Amino acid sequence: MSLFDAIDTAASGLSAERMRMDVTAENLANAQTTRGADGQPYRRKVVVLQEAVPSNFGSTLRGAMKGTNTTGVRVAEIAQDATPNRLVYDPGHPDADPRGYVSMPNVQPVTEMVDLISASRGYEANVTVMQTSKQMFSKTLEILR
Amino acid sequence: MNLFDTTQLGLQSAISGAGMRQATIAGNISNANTPGYQRKDVDFHTTLRAALASDAPMEAVKTAAFSPATATTGPMRADGNGVDIDVESATMAANALEYETLVSVARGRTDVLRSAMGVA
Repeated sequence: MSLFDAIDTAASGLSAERMRMDVTAENLANAQTTRGADGQPYRRKVVVLQEAVPSNFGSTLRGAMKGTNTTGVRVAEIAQDATPNRLVYDPGHPDADPRGYVSMPNVQPVTEMVDLISASRGYEANVTVMQTSKQMFSKTLEILR
Repeated sequence: MNLFDTTQLGLQSAISGAGMRQATIAGNISNANTPGYQRKDVDFHTTLRAALASDAPMEAVKTAAFSPATATTGPMRADGNGVDIDVESATMAANALEYETLVSVARGRTDVLRSAMGVA
């Protein structure tokens, strides 16, 4: 385990938080989409995060030899939110059912905004880790001067 | 007669411990939104203190090994995550300062050795 592992770990955090932000953007963009790829209303997507070991050669070898390793994060899957769709009364809508209700995506803009803030703060925290580790590493190099 | 005394070896060991702690805190922060994740920490101070207080401190410090331990404080949030991002940030800042202090002291001591050898 070295300082480079801290940088790898922070990088895994950056890509995970960025993925959350991308998925939030997709959800918001499709908040009114009544026809998805399968012809059904769009369903909200959620990112499932999982603890993971950075998969570079060095850390894998060290982990195998010493039994300890750093833990990064990875996107386990992008799942679909199981909440039912919202029914909106709009008889003029081309996708309205015979009773005049349109099945709208289960996207709540407020929830998405909260997720967006959370992803953004998480991203910033990982950037700070990366900066601090970098600073520590350059301090170590001073010993050699 | 050794070129590096127990203090210098202790400093080296502490630097590697603080480096490992930094990597562990990085893991905690990157998992701040992972359900069920429990924070980890490296208690290198206790291990090193015990090594320095032992009968053969030099050997004990040389062989001192640290490893991250999972906290048992339990989950803080409904999703089972036990990471408090403020605590992690503060711990990381303190650990980085400690690391830089250790490096500065180690540097100062090697400088003394260098001037004794007439290279600096």
